[in-house]
Parts: sequence; structure tokens; C-alpha cells
Amino acid sequence: MKKWTLGAALNYIVLTLLLVLTLVPFYMLLITSLKYRDQIVHQFWLPSFPFHFNNYVDVFAQIWPFIWNSAIITAGIIVCVLINSTMAGYAFTRFSFIGKNAIYNLILVLMMVPSFLLLIPQFLLFKNLGLINTYWAQIFGPMAGSSAMATMLVRTFFEGLPNSLIESAEVEGAGDFRIFGQIVLPLSYPILSTVAIINALLGWNNYIWPLVITSGNKVKPIILALGNVSGPLDQVQGMQFAGYVIASLPLLLLFFFATKSFIEGMTAGAVKA
Amino acid sequence: MAGRMLSQTPVSSHRASRTKKIVKTHLKALLFLAPIFISMGLFKYIPFFTALIKSLYEWNGANIDKFVGLRNFIGLFQDTTFYASMKNIAIFTGSFVAIQLVFPLLAAVGVFHMAHSRLQNLYKLLFLVPMVVPHIIVYMLWRWIYMNDGMLDRLLQALGLESWIRAWLGESGTALWSIVFVNFPWVSGIYFLIYLAGLIAISQELFEVGKLEGISGWQRLWHIELPLIRGQIRLVLILAFVNQFQSFENVLVLTNGGPGFSTLTPALYLYKKGFEYNEFGYASAIGVVIFAILMVFTLVTQRFVKPAEKSD
Repeated sequence: MKKWTLGAALNYIVLTLLLVLTLVPFYMLLITSLKYRDQIVHQFWLPSFPFHFNNYVDVFAQIWPFIWNSAIITAGIIVCVLINSTMAGYAFTRFSFIGKNAIYNLILVLMMVPSFLLLIPQFLLFKNLGLINTYWAQIFGPMAGSSAMATMLVRTFFEGLPNSLIESAEVEGAGDFRIFGQIVLPLSYPILSTVAIINALLGWNNYIWPLVITSGNKVKPIILALGNVSGPLDQVQGMQFAGYVIASLPLLLLFFFATKSFIEGMTAGAVKA
Repeated sequence: MAGRMLSQTPVSSHRASRTKKIVKTHLKALLFLAPIFISMGLFKYIPFFTALIKSLYEWNGANIDKFVGLRNFIGLFQDTTFYASMKNIAIFTGSFVAIQLVFPLLAAVGVFHMAHSRLQNLYKLLFLVPMVVPHIIVYMLWRWIYMNDGMLDRLLQALGLESWIRAWLGESGTALWSIVFVNFPWVSGIYFLIYLAGLIAISQELFEVGKLEGISGWQRLWHIELPLIRGQIRLVLILAFVNQFQSFENVLVLTNGGPGFSTLTPALYLYKKGFEYNEFGYASAIGVVIFAILMVFTLVTQRFVKPAEKSD
């Protein structure tokens, strides 16, 4: 049992101060999302009764189609990146072929290219393909860039898998597709979930690309729709904030239920740059 | 022909089957690589080379598409708006890097030395939660903090400092620094995590020895922790620079570059030139210049980084 020293006490005070200041905006977000206008004016800093949960109900009625759009786009990105990266990772681990290193480097070097440089040519490319204002454009744009890092992570993981399992399957006459699908993929759950989480964040949070590539409401993701929440003057501020909370919930839930994978994904996602 | 084949059967069939096997391996590799080849080639490499080439063109994406040599770049280097954006991004990046080198480190060291492990986990988790909130929502939240009669104004009123109140994002004197202040006190989860990982990797024995020697917290920080997480500090330096230098979502949401050009960044300038003015060639030239700066920065830091990383 450690003693309470002056240093330790100071440590707690500084940390708590930092933490409180960090969380204040989110505290304000939560309490304000439950208020009507007069409550915001008169009771700014504290929660105020009654809680108006109908802010949440009313804003959800407006934004659910966009949440659905975001879910489709995010799922699409995750699936595409997983297909790209696991297949490529398998090729780099299992086969020796001409130009292997050069090809690998050609994939990785793309991580250095900033996304805004590609914004205009990608926009025109999708325009020429007739894919403006579709889910496809919102899936294909982000997933291509993200596949590079995912390939690196997956390849590293595959190379660490025990060779004996794969060899014995080979002896029994299993082809590459069976080895890939029935042995390698099931063993790779940790890295697959890391890649999935990185791309869930990417897909859900993407702002600039959908801003460029969508117009109108049909395929608009939630992050863009939050700016257009409307309601009675009395309620609109609370409804907007309720919308922010709802849009943050899926990732928050993911974070609390898969904290470990989430932290690994975040760290890997940051370190790639 | 038949006779020759017969006479050479052992060797040639062996060689033939080997060749066949090599071809088969290549075909299989190609098959497995096909998805990533297609997606990267089509959606990354073609746009990348388009951007490089079109920076030499006067181009609006439709009827105007004329080779003009280096005219876009010459124009860019005479463009006062571009210089204004470079000055802004220098301030944004410089302050962001300095901040990320201090505050998340402070929090990570503090959490690392907390005695109660349950409390330690709680603090860690709470520092990480904001990282999960979509950053656009965080920017919209800060727009609300800065708005007229928003949270900041309310705070100043409560403190009796009404005279300080101003249009934080609307005046060129305060807009830039207001954006720097977004996310105050700047303990961003990801850098916090990187530092924490570095601290956890330090051998526990070193701390034991330090304790026996009776060193103070400051000495421990200066002589044990900072030298041993040099790798992480360098990593944060690079990441913070690269991320912030490319940033424009924060400015787009908070001020859209205004008032005037007082918060414009090069990436936002590219976006505006492209999508508001349809000057795609000029915008591509901006992109190429920023890309070049980022490449130089990365190469230079890697030069300096390498020898030190070995000593870790």
C-alpha cells in the first residue's frame, strides 16, 4: 500500500483538472441536448428539469435515414478493405513472385499521399463513371486509400501465423482458397477486428469526401446531415445536440464493448501515417 | 520430335513441371492481388498522376484543358492569399505540435503513476472517450462554445469579465487563436495512448532503483522517462505535424477560412479553388506544393530519426 505523498496528491489534482476541462464540452452537450430554449437561457451550466427526451425522439425522426446511409457506407468500406487486405496479405505471405517487394512498396507508398491532393481528380473520376451521389462513390473513395495500411497490418499478422498448420493442410491436398478461407482467416480474428474498427471510424467520420461527392439527401451520411437539423425555435438547439449524441453513439458503444481492439485499432491507425 | 522428347523425358518433364508450377504460383498471386490492384490503380494511382499532370494545365474539368507549363506554380508563388494561408498553417502546425508534445504527455505521465489501478483505468478510459466522438461533432460543439452568447461568453459573464466578450470566430484578431484553442486542454486520446505505451514499456527496475536513490518526481521525469520515450516523442512530433499540416476540416467547420483570409489554410485554399472557382489546375498545383513540403519534412525527420531510434 502506497502512502499519500504531496507529489501524489498534486498528481491527482492536475490530472483531475485536465480531465474535467477535457470533458466539459461533452457534459454541456449532454445536458443541453435535454433542454428547451428557456432552460438553456436560465439554467445554462446545470441539468434542468424536466428532461426533454422528446428532443431525441424528434431529431431521430429526422435523421434516421442518414444514419442508415452511414451504416451502409461504413459496412461497405469495411467489407471492401477486408477483402483487399486479406487477399493481398495472403499473396504476399504465401507466394514468391517476381516484383513482390516492388509491388508491396507501391501499395505502401500511397499512405504518404495526402488525401486532399486526390480530391479533385477523384471527384472527376467518379463523375465520369457516373457514380456521383451514390453509395459506391462513398465506399470506393475511402476504401482504396485505407486498404494500403490494412494490407501492411494483415501481412505482418499472417507472417506470424504458425506454418505447420498450413503445411499439414497442404499435405492433405487443400488448395489455396481452402487454406485461406478455412485456416488463415479464422485464425486472424484479432487483426481483422482491428482493421474493421479502423475503418468503422474512417467510414463513420468521413466528412470532406461525402461533402464533395453527394448532393441532396438520398445518400447523404449522418455527419453531413447534422448541420441541417431543423425544429421549432424553442427546441432546435436541444434537437441539434441530441443529434450529435445519437451520431456519436454507435462508435461509443463499439468503444465500450471492444475497448481493447478499439485501442489497438486507433494506435495502429495513427502510427501508419 | 517425339524421339527427342522421349530421350529427354526425365530432365525436361521435371523442368516443365517446375515452370508450370512457377506460372501457376504467379497466376494465383495475381488472382489474390487483383482486388487491391484494381482498387488502388483505379481510385488512387490514376487520380494521383492526374493531379501531378494537371498541375501544369489550365483546367476546369470540362471544356478548358490547356497545357500552360509552370504558369500555375509561378502564379502560386506570387499569390498573396497563398502566402497568407502558409503563414496560418505555420502557426496552426507550430502551436499544435508544441501543444501535443506537452499536454498529452503530462496526462500520460500522471495516469501512469497513479497508485490505484482501478482509478487509473477509469482516468485512462475517460481521457480516451472524446477520441471516439466524431471530430466534426467536436468542431461543431466548439463553434457553439465560441458563438455569440455561447459557452465562452457565458463563462466570462459568470466571472465578471463581460468586457472581454467578442465575436471570437468573427474577428480577424481572435479567429486564428480561437481555432488553436479548440480541444483545450488538448489531451488528445491518440497521442496520450502513444506516450502511455512508451511509459509502460520502461523496465520497472529502473523505477525501483530510482526510488531507492530517492529521486524526486521531476528528476524521474527528466532522467528516466523522457530519455526512454524519445521514440514516442519523435513519433508524436511527426504525426502531429503531418496531421495538422493537412488539416482543413476544423477551419472549414469553424470559420470557412474567414474572416477574410485570416484562418485560411493551404488545403482549404485548394478545396475552394477547386470546388468554388473550378480552377482545378491551379488547385492541383497547390496540392503538389503541399505534398512536396510534407515529403521533405518526412524525409528530413527520417534522417534525424534513424540513428536515435537504434539506441532505443
